[in-house]
This record gives sequence, structure tokens and C-alpha cells, in this order.
Amino acid sequence: MSKELRSNFHEQLAEIGAGIARMSAGVTELVPRATQILLDGDLEAAEYVILGDDEYDAKAVELEERCFSVIALQAPVASDLRSLVSAIKIIADIERSADLCVNICKAARRIYSHDLDPSLRGVIQKMGDQARVLFKEATEAYINLDGPRAAALHDMDSYLDDLQRQFIQVIFESHAAGTIDLQVAVQLAVVARFFERIGDHAVNVGDRVRYIVDGWVPEHPYAESDNDPPEIVDGVVVPAAQG
Amino acid sequence: MPSIVALFGGVAIGLVIGVVLAHRTARTVRRPKAASNDLTGSAVTAVGNISEEFGADLALGLQSAVDHLQMGVVVCDASLKTTYRNGAADALTGTHAGVIVDAHLQQLFTETRSGVRAGRIVELQGPPKTTYSIDAMPIPGGGAVATIDDISERVRIDSMRTDFVANISHELKTPVGAIAVLAEMLADETEPTVINTLSSRVVEESHRVARTIDDLLELSRIELSRRLDDAVDLSAVVDEAVARGRMAADGHQVQVETIGASDRLWIQADRPQLSSAVGNLVENAVKYSDDGGLVQVSIRRNERWVEVIVVDEGVGIPAADLDRVFERFYRVDKARARQTGGTGLGLAIVRHVANNHGGVVSVQSQEGEGSTFTFRLPARLVVPSPEVNEPGNPTELQPAPGRLAATAGSTPPQKVSMPDG
Repeated sequence: MSKELRSNFHEQLAEIGAGIARMSAGVTELVPRATQILLDGDLEAAEYVILGDDEYDAKAVELEERCFSVIALQAPVASDLRSLVSAIKIIADIERSADLCVNICKAARRIYSHDLDPSLRGVIQKMGDQARVLFKEATEAYINLDGPRAAALHDMDSYLDDLQRQFIQVIFESHAAGTIDLQVAVQLAVVARFFERIGDHAVNVGDRVRYIVDGWVPEHPYAESDNDPPEIVDGVVVPAAQG
Repeated sequence: MPSIVALFGGVAIGLVIGVVLAHRTARTVRRPKAASNDLTGSAVTAVGNISEEFGADLALGLQSAVDHLQMGVVVCDASLKTTYRNGAADALTGTHAGVIVDAHLQQLFTETRSGVRAGRIVELQGPPKTTYSIDAMPIPGGGAVATIDDISERVRIDSMRTDFVANISHELKTPVGAIAVLAEMLADETEPTVINTLSSRVVEESHRVARTIDDLLELSRIELSRRLDDAVDLSAVVDEAVARGRMAADGHQVQVETIGASDRLWIQADRPQLSSAVGNLVENAVKYSDDGGLVQVSIRRNERWVEVIVVDEGVGIPAADLDRVFERFYRVDKARARQTGGTGLGLAIVRHVANNHGGVVSVQSQEGEGSTFTFRLPARLVVPSPEVNEPGNPTELQPAPGRLAATAGSTPPQKVSMPDG
């Protein structure tokens, strides 16, 4: 009887894992699609992606519920618990990334009929490619529970950050040259941010994968921040000196 | 025709899978009795007979054949649990493509429960863009077998073919239609200035259609000819192309230059073809450069290839069009192509010339940053430079095949430098 229960439990874990993998693979496809929609000004495809987002939201809620019920009913421990807790976080990251793809499609609608410079299009393509690669790596690291692969995501993300800076620069140049108006420039700046955020979510997924594999947690919560971590003197938090 | 082959293939694979399955069930008695009954039912007896009649060797051979098929094969049992994956299907697991294909497989397997075949086409965004055709059919007695076929190449060729037909009729009909309309207008016109404009337009359009036809003819000539018996000075061909490029560039301040060492390099090739190919590459680079742009042409040589590399800083090519620019009449930006007056055949000619010489042409590009075209010829075409200072009449110096092979193998400088690298 108990054996039966356990196998049922592992089946549930596997189902949650498969559901997440499916969502994540779906977003990996969504990123290049959104990029292409933005470049082509494909309104019909944009509409499809925007409407399809409800499915991701519903799936995310459903998977989350399942995680909660497994935690509550099966009282998992050790790696099972780690993978379930991580799953809840990963689902949120994936769901958010799907939203960002939708946002890119909405931006495509807003800048419709405005021609973009080749240099702008080039950077958009580059950012889309890099964001896709990041998400693909995060997805495959999760499927294979591959810690080292997940750890490599940080470096890949810094390239995406560089591209964002480059993108903003090109937007300024195009605006100064008068080839795009302010509206389009602002929309594109926001799009740059969307791509960058997708990368960050992929990195988060990667971090969670490392946590599942070997219990790794980021050394300190300021790892991603430019500020120095605060010091603790006699139990009092002292903010780091500026400069 | 391909569909018939595919159908036949599908049926054959189904049969083979049946055999494999039956063989497995026959050999692995560890499987619970009930499950084995579920799995194959009447098929087991049928194929079991094959296994008995032809022996285990055949079944083993068939299994290894399915294992090594290029097409992915997945079998599930009556409860839709996957029981077998061949090598190609297994290669997909652990990738995001595998997850997506698996999701579709599960749905298709469910559909086959009603006893009918089910199939669908799954497209994955690239790069590179991939298309899978997944086909599932029920196995008598429960369970199903599915094939996963990567049809990306077929899809690409199909779209190439339809686009070609559409494009060629467009390219030929547009100027002819324009000429007809202009001529009609001319017939009713009495004002001399209008007559002048109209007739010059007629001349322009007829030149356009003539150019297209010329290029088409040249393309078919290149496709037919396999005569590579001139000893051609590649550097001279490049210099000539650069000079022509400079002339074309004068209009909009594009700088064309040759970089790198300019020692003579003789290769066995077809002279007109080669000069047409290199000329087209340089001309294209100039055409798609912005004012004040720079086009650099260089020759590089290593053990395997002789390369002519043309780099520009022009508009570049969108990633989505990159693998299609060598198709006949394919155009990235229709408006610009018309304005630059190209026929849409230049790069197709380049590709054919490269093919004829056993080489390849490739492109790397970033939109807004420029493109790099690399025209590669195999290094075995290199011949020793003729001693006579008469490049105009080099055919008599055509080397014997034996000598050719010797030159190809002996490139001392590179070989000596090998251990360093």
C-alpha cells in the first residue's frame, strides 16, 4: 500500500516537472516568434500570441495549485521539497516571460507602419536571438537538471545586458538622425527592457535549477545589485558607504 | 510522388515496428502476462510467426535498422506509455524541441485511440527554422506507433519553387506590361516633350527586361557548362572586379579596396564564370552600401580552400532572409532592388559558379552592420603560375592532372607552420 502511495507521489512530481518543461519550451518558441512579429509588423500573428497568453496563465495557476497540494498532502523532504518549492518560483518566472513576449507583440502593434533602420532591426534581432538562447538553455538545464549549464546563464545574460545598452544607444542615434519619431523611440526602449527582463527570468530559472541539483543559493542577496552589501555591526544593519 | 514514397515508407516502418515489438515481447518474458496481451494482441501471433519463420537474426537486424533510421520512431502501449524510441527520437529528448514534439506526440497517440491515423506538422522557430511532420497510427490490439520526420529541407525547397515561379513571372511581366502601356500612350500623344519622356521610359523598361533575360541565359549556361580548363589568375580577376566596382561606386561615394597580399594566384577554372561571380559579389556590395561606405575585397588561402572575401558595411540582410538570398529572383527589399536596377539573379549566378568549381559561397550578415560574402574554391584547383608573362593566353599551360594533384598536396609553407598552431 505504502509503495503504491510513493509511486503515485513520484508520478505527481514527474507530471509537474513535465508541465513546467512544456511551458518553458513554449516560451522558448514564443521569444523568437515575438521578435519576428516585431520585425515584420505582423499584426495577425501578434493577435494570436496575445490571445494565447491566457493559456499560459491558466497553466501556471494549475501547476502552482498542484505544487501546493503535493506539498500539503505528501509532506515531501530534501530534494523533493527543493524541487517543489523551486517549481513554484520557476512557474512564476516562465509565466512572467510569456507576458513579456505578449508585451513585445503589443509594442509591435503600437509601432506598426513605422519603418525601422537596418541598424535598429539588427540589434532587435540580436537581442531576440540572445534572449531565446538564454531561455533555451534555462529550459534544457531544467529538463536535464544540469547544474553547470544553469550556472553558465549569468555570463550569457551579461551579453544580453550589453546588447540592451547598445540598443538604447542606437535608438538615440536614430532619433537624432530623425529616422524615427519620439513615440517609436520610447516604444523601442521599452522593448529593449522586455528582452532584458526575459533574460533575467531565464537566469532566475537557472539559479533555481542549481538549487534543486545541489542546494546552491546565491551567496548574498546583493549579488545582482551594483550596491555594496550592508554591513552588520553589533546586530545593527549599517548601509555601505557610498562612492 | 514523394507522398507515395512517404506512405510506403510509413507502412514499411509500421511493419518493421510490429516485428520489433513482437520480437521484444517474445524474448523478454519478464513482462507481465496481461501487459503483453494488451500490447500487441493479434499482431503478436502474426509477427511472432515471422520471427519464428525467419529466425531471431532477422528480427534483430530489423530492430537495429529501425534504431538507426534517420526518421524518429516512437511506440506506445495501450495505456499511451512510451515503450520504445529509436535513436533519432531519442536524440530529441532533453532538448526544448523534444519537449514540444513529445507534447504533440501525446495528443496524437490519444487521437489514435479511436483507431484512425493522426498527423500534424509542427513548426519550430529557429534559428534554424525546423519543421517536423509527426504521424501516428494505431497498432492492432492497442498502442500506436509514430514517426517523426524532419521535413525542414523539403519545406524550404517547396517554398523556393513556388516563390521562383511567382517571381519570374513578376520580373518578366512587369516591364513588358509597362512597355505595352507606354506604347499605347505614345500612339495617342502629340506633345514632343511627353513623347520624349515616354519613349525614354520604353527604352529603360526594355533594357530591364533584356538584362533579366541575359542573366537568365547566363545562369542556364553556367548550369550546363562544366568546362574548367583555363588557368586563371585569381588576383587579376579580383582586380578587374574591383575596378568595375569602383566605376559603379562613383555615383554614391563608396570606397572599394583590395586588402592583403597581392601575390599572383593561378587556379584552374572557367575564366568568364569566375569573373562574373566575383564581379557580381563586388557589384552587390557596392549597391547595398550607404554613401561613404567601404567595400573590402581580399583573397585568402589555406590547405583546403582558396577564398575570395567581400566585406561591406551596408544595410545587411535580415536573419530570416539569410539562407534564401542565393535563390533566383529572391529579394529582401523589393523597393530597393528596383531602385538599384538588379535582376535578382546575381547571387544565384555566384552560387552556381561556386558549385561548378566544387566550391561553396556563404554569407554572414548583421542587419545595419553589413555583410560578408565568402566565395570558396577548393585548394586543389590551384596551379603553379605559368612562367610566361602572357596571362592572355594561358590555356596552353594547362597542367596535367598528375601535376595538379601534386600541387594540391604540396603547400609547404602551411604544412611547416602546422605544428606551431
